[in-house]
Amino acid sequence: MTDQPFIEARELIKSYGEHRAVDGLSFGINRGETFGFLGPNGAGKTTTIGMLVGLLKPDSGQVIVHGRNPALADVRRSIGIAPQSLSLYDELTAIENLEFFGSLYGLKGTTLKKRVTWSLEFAELNDRRKDRVGTFSGGMKRRLNIAVALIHEPDILLLDEPTVGVDPQSRNHIFESIQGLQNQGMTILYTTHYMEEAQRLCDRVAIVDHGKLLALDTVQNLIEQHGGQSIVTGELNFCPDGLSFPGECDSKNFRFESNQPLKAVAELTGQGVKFQTLGIAQPDLECVFLALTGRSLRDQ
Amino acid sequence: MNPVLSMAVKDIRVLFRDKLGAFFIIGFPICMGLFFGLIMNPSSSSGSGKIAIAVVDQDNTDTSRKFIESLQENDSVELTVENLKSAKNSVRRGKRVALLVLEEGFGETAGVFWEPPPTIQLGVDPSRTAESGMLQGLIMEAIGQLSSQRFQDSDKMRDYLKRSRQSITKDEEISAADRLLMNSFFSSVEGMIGSIESLQNDSEEPAARSGMSDGFQFANIKTIDVSRKIDPRSATGQLLKLRSRWDISFPQAMMWGVMSCVAGFAISIARERSRGTMLRLQIAPLSRSQILAGKALACFLTVILVIAFMTILGLFLGMKPNHFGLLAIAAFCVAYCFVGIMMVMSVLGKTEASVNGAGWAINMVMAMVGGAMIPVMFMPAFIKQFSVVSPIKWSILSIEGAIWREFSLAEMLLPCGILLAFGTAGLLVGALIISKDSN
Repeated sequence: MTDQPFIEARELIKSYGEHRAVDGLSFGINRGETFGFLGPNGAGKTTTIGMLVGLLKPDSGQVIVHGRNPALADVRRSIGIAPQSLSLYDELTAIENLEFFGSLYGLKGTTLKKRVTWSLEFAELNDRRKDRVGTFSGGMKRRLNIAVALIHEPDILLLDEPTVGVDPQSRNHIFESIQGLQNQGMTILYTTHYMEEAQRLCDRVAIVDHGKLLALDTVQNLIEQHGGQSIVTGELNFCPDGLSFPGECDSKNFRFESNQPLKAVAELTGQGVKFQTLGIAQPDLECVFLALTGRSLRDQ
Repeated sequence: MNPVLSMAVKDIRVLFRDKLGAFFIIGFPICMGLFFGLIMNPSSSSGSGKIAIAVVDQDNTDTSRKFIESLQENDSVELTVENLKSAKNSVRRGKRVALLVLEEGFGETAGVFWEPPPTIQLGVDPSRTAESGMLQGLIMEAIGQLSSQRFQDSDKMRDYLKRSRQSITKDEEISAADRLLMNSFFSSVEGMIGSIESLQNDSEEPAARSGMSDGFQFANIKTIDVSRKIDPRSATGQLLKLRSRWDISFPQAMMWGVMSCVAGFAISIARERSRGTMLRLQIAPLSRSQILAGKALACFLTVILVIAFMTILGLFLGMKPNHFGLLAIAAFCVAYCFVGIMMVMSVLGKTEASVNGAGWAINMVMAMVGGAMIPVMFMPAFIKQFSVVSPIKWSILSIEGAIWREFSLAEMLLPCGILLAFGTAGLLVGALIISKDSN
């Protein structure tokens, strides 16, 4: 990673009529970083992506990709996008889709053939390469959707909800593929509703709502700063008389919050407490979102 | 491959992978062309496949009646005996292909090879000149049969020879040598009649027809004019230029294919938006004009393909375009015009359904007014005037101009110029709206 962000958004503002979709958004994505973009529907994620790839012109503010304007064809050539909607031609085969999108980026001849072969292997669709996409399952289409985004070997990959509507097997395949790309040093912008995906894949996460950036940091820092304390719950087997138990405790069940739950449990055990059952719930990004917006992301 | 060409190839491929879409572009126009070609058959025959002929028997003798009977025996003709006025009207109105007039005296000389041949007047519908040769052949065949019948009727023939001898004897202008020669000839004919009689007695086999027709003229066929003075600019006058039953139906059918292309490609832009592929196209290093050019090229090539395919099919069926060069110019102008119309249609709605609905509504109005359903020349005057606003009218006119209207290059300028103007206006309006929507 370098000090100069690979992709930089500066005070972006974009309105549609009276509605301000993006309101002063600023962030930077470093080269080789996997950057999570987390927010409910209508948060301004798609509009922001549109501005990042030069598709939409901001009302004010600036986007810089690799030091240049993303509206330039050369800059767009370095970006690959896998939109949330499956942006494929159902009437064409997997090979035909890849060849077509590859040709738009100037690939031809053996270079195009090699990239098509690589993309088919990446999506594990080699045996279905001559089948029409319309006959594919949802997971296969998602994999091909990502493969098409990679056909021209971009430096930056934008993944918009890449696991929506896929089976667990395809989801795992997509995760492994993305991790493979991370290992190769690709810069990835990943938008998702699924907190566990952001936690698993992203180096840093930006949480946006109503077009504004609410928080931006590593997952660990976000949780520490906004996620609150871990919640320890369970049933007691024995509690010494006169012990001051933290949190709520009746004759049997207990619940308390702590920044260091294991240390707190060890201290209680040292004071003679015996636990029948014990559970520790650590805060996650859902808690962060709840803390920042007052509502659950999954309910959006 | 050039990105624009690559986009065009992709769009054509996508369009033809949809079987129903492909049917409406190619299959449906073929059905329309064949169906209307068959029902618009300019043939004036009875519909049984026979050549309808009106016969005027001014001779009204046994011989003339035998001639008519002989003609009727032919399976390829359908005869009606009428008076001269009625027969001429029948041909002029297209109810009959031709009329035959057997003049008074026909029976005197028909089939007698030493007499001057009888005169038969033949009037053929000017649009059915192809049948004229066949009719002359049929007349000769019937006269030949008449001649054969005369020889087989020995009593009548002997009576005829007797009258001929008397006539020669009375004629003082004939020299003695000639008279001797002709009497000798008549004696030979009598001998031949006797031989035929003995042959007929030996066998009931009819005399062979072949060979009887060699060496003399059966009939003097005099053509008569049955055409009316028709204004060449009138619908009837225009129709006289038709050379094939497909001349009108195929240009119309081509337009149905063209309209299906336009509707298909107009939807494709909305479909690119709805399925998200437009986003990919826009993010790719292509300009907006390249994306639109790809769509336009695909539509243009498909329209040309439809016109070329229908032309080839028409040629196979017997359509004979008057000028292939002008037809190519017409096809170019039609394709350009409808690319522009496709661009406008594509921005009439945000969804595939709305674009499809609006597109076909426009197509239907253009087709009805422009003559893709009923040829403009057969429309009431007020609709004819209104039809000038329909690009379909100018498209059909330009194609027909090259196929059968015998347009010169100068005459092609008007329809082609209007088509180019429609196309340019459509391209500008469509591109402007698409550009505005994208921002």
